[in-house]
Amino acid sequence: MHSTLKLTVSHAPFWHNGSSISSKSRNILLASLLAVIPGCYQYGSAAVGVVTLSIASAILWELLINFISRRPISVGDGNAALIGMMFAMMLPATTPWWAVVTGTFFAVVIGKEIFGGIGANPFNPAVLAMTILMLSWGDLFDFNAALLNYQFDFNSVYPLVLSKSFGAPAVESLPLMDLLQGKQIGGIGSTFGIGLILGGVYLMLRGVIRWEISISFLAGIFAAALCFNILNPELYAGPGFHLLTGYTLIGAFFLATEDSSSPVNFIPMLIYGLLGGALTVLIRNIGTHIDGVLYAILIINLVNPIVDKIRPKALGKGV
Amino acid sequence: MIKRSFFGLVKPKLQYEIIDEAQAEPVSIKTSKQIMLYIDQSVDPSLENAGENAGNVLLKTGDQVKTGQKIAMTDDAADYLLSSQSGQISKISTFVGIMGKNYTSVTIDVDGESSQNVDEGFKNVCQAPSLENAREFLTGLPGQPDFNVFFDSEKPVKAIVVLGVDDDLLSTTNQYFVKNNIIAIKTGVDLLCKITGISNAILIVPQHLEQVAGSSGAVVKTVDSEYPSAHPELIMRHILASEDGESKSKSGIAFFSAEAVCAIGAAYNTGKLFLEKLVTFVSKDGNKQLVSVPIGTPLQDILNEFNETLNDGDRVILGGPMQGISVFSADYPVLPDTDTIIIQDKNQITERSDIACINCGECVRVCPANIQVNQLIRFLEAGQYEEAADQNDLFSCIECGFCSYVCESRIPVFQHIKLAKHTLESMKAAEESNA
Repeated sequence: MHSTLKLTVSHAPFWHNGSSISSKSRNILLASLLAVIPGCYQYGSAAVGVVTLSIASAILWELLINFISRRPISVGDGNAALIGMMFAMMLPATTPWWAVVTGTFFAVVIGKEIFGGIGANPFNPAVLAMTILMLSWGDLFDFNAALLNYQFDFNSVYPLVLSKSFGAPAVESLPLMDLLQGKQIGGIGSTFGIGLILGGVYLMLRGVIRWEISISFLAGIFAAALCFNILNPELYAGPGFHLLTGYTLIGAFFLATEDSSSPVNFIPMLIYGLLGGALTVLIRNIGTHIDGVLYAILIINLVNPIVDKIRPKALGKGV
Repeated sequence: MIKRSFFGLVKPKLQYEIIDEAQAEPVSIKTSKQIMLYIDQSVDPSLENAGENAGNVLLKTGDQVKTGQKIAMTDDAADYLLSSQSGQISKISTFVGIMGKNYTSVTIDVDGESSQNVDEGFKNVCQAPSLENAREFLTGLPGQPDFNVFFDSEKPVKAIVVLGVDDDLLSTTNQYFVKNNIIAIKTGVDLLCKITGISNAILIVPQHLEQVAGSSGAVVKTVDSEYPSAHPELIMRHILASEDGESKSKSGIAFFSAEAVCAIGAAYNTGKLFLEKLVTFVSKDGNKQLVSVPIGTPLQDILNEFNETLNDGDRVILGGPMQGISVFSADYPVLPDTDTIIIQDKNQITERSDIACINCGECVRVCPANIQVNQLIRFLEAGQYEEAADQNDLFSCIECGFCSYVCESRIPVFQHIKLAKHTLESMKAAEESNA
């Protein structure tokens, strides 16, 4: 009776499937490297600098908030690093250091920590920070100006600017295969389509991101772009172009799928994705902004709590 | 421990243990020197003669008990256990179990082989089987048959369901009885039908035992091999609802485990009470072995039998890996409802955390009761139990434990749910007693 043996006593269940937040972050970071490494290869050491600074500053901002708010140190779960990575993937390689650090401040502190940390953010932190920066210092993110000094062996005009300013015929000179292979200018980690798709498929197969969101997001873009294209082929580029340019692929696989700001039920996930895709094309084709992905994702983040009310009845409730 | 598969696109699947052809026969554990019985009630031993509401105290330290004797603290107590050995009561104390439940712990020093006496109480009535004497003598049988449902006049029982499946993972107890003892189940079912006057008896078995079960002549239904489809609540909804549109509430159905039915049948046929519990013992290295052990045997005796040593930080679990309870000491006895004993090494234990929910939705998609666990857990963590019950389907939970199993933040979701239910129920009880 009076044994000194101290057994572990806890509540059921006594098994766990082994998943954790840090392994999830690690997987997404790994998958994003498929797009980031070719990006760094294309833009050189400047891009490496932006990516590393972004990740490092995001982690430091979170650490700082941990200290100020006297909460347990949470950088170990990898979420801050992930936010930094996502943010860097959208940036042009020539972004000045202060803009990167300001951006990760908005992402980690304003986007996530002031809402209560991981799981409590209503918007995707990286997207929120990116839109704040784009509205504040628009010139920095004009890809044509930002990447002016680079010499490429392909047409170095931001494809979405071409389609916006000169209509569909202007982008016919851009073969879709080239766009897929990253022969276009844009964010460090958002142009190499093959890498983004491979990374996205890996994440979907592993169950790290919800395939319903990614697929329906792409389907929404495809359907909406196709409608525009059929209505006026002179003015609006085809769905293939919209799928492979701007932030579409990174948005579908990495941004829209952020856990906290996306729905969890099947039908809401489909609505969420479709809505995001359709909004993207609407903003691109008839809005004033050049790329609509970020604004579309912010809007569907807002809609998320409402659409997630569409859900099956719980056991024993209703008929 | 079953880990998440590499491909996580589909829902996690946990398969029930399947009893195989070559399953080793159960090992019998030799009689212990001491047995312990935890009776579900609380009588303060210091107030043995005081309590106004309590009936006469039946037992005290030093009393001799016989094999099969009812061990209850008072003569009007509904809860009792049957002593599986003869001996002398050496200690009576109180014990607080999970969720503040009170037990009386009765320790019996077992007499030698030669002086084992069998209590005659049941033998005198077994010639005339009836519900009353079943309730009087058989609730303490292995599998813990519950006869009280038949005495609730507001909810007449319409069907008897015999569970030839095991509710939790790793256990094969009930499957063993279906596979090896289907005749005894048939005898038991016939007897139950006779004493209750209910003709509608259904035998639930896993698919691979359908053929065997068919020979019993009872109505046989099968359930999936995936956890938690053998949960009584789900069996009732998915299998029985199609048969009878009205039976959508738990009332009206009496559940018995196959083990209990065998024991009831044997008791009335032979006049002897069979008090050996069939338990699946899972050692630290994951070996599974069926063990037949007298009810009340302390776990330490079973550990000794298998040369299993416990170190600080290990975990001893009574019941399955999803719904069982872990205990503080290896002195805890095998009780009539203990189907599995699992020993986990310190380094097999996944620690829980207090990180907030990240809203990944794994729990929502895996929940068999369609509860929005991601919403629910936010209310539970804030202690807003009434809102959780009103708006977030707290009481739809069937307590399968799947949400905690898949949680990426490693939140003890199941524990939060149990605590919330317990708190609300004790609040309700307090309100009723004050009214």
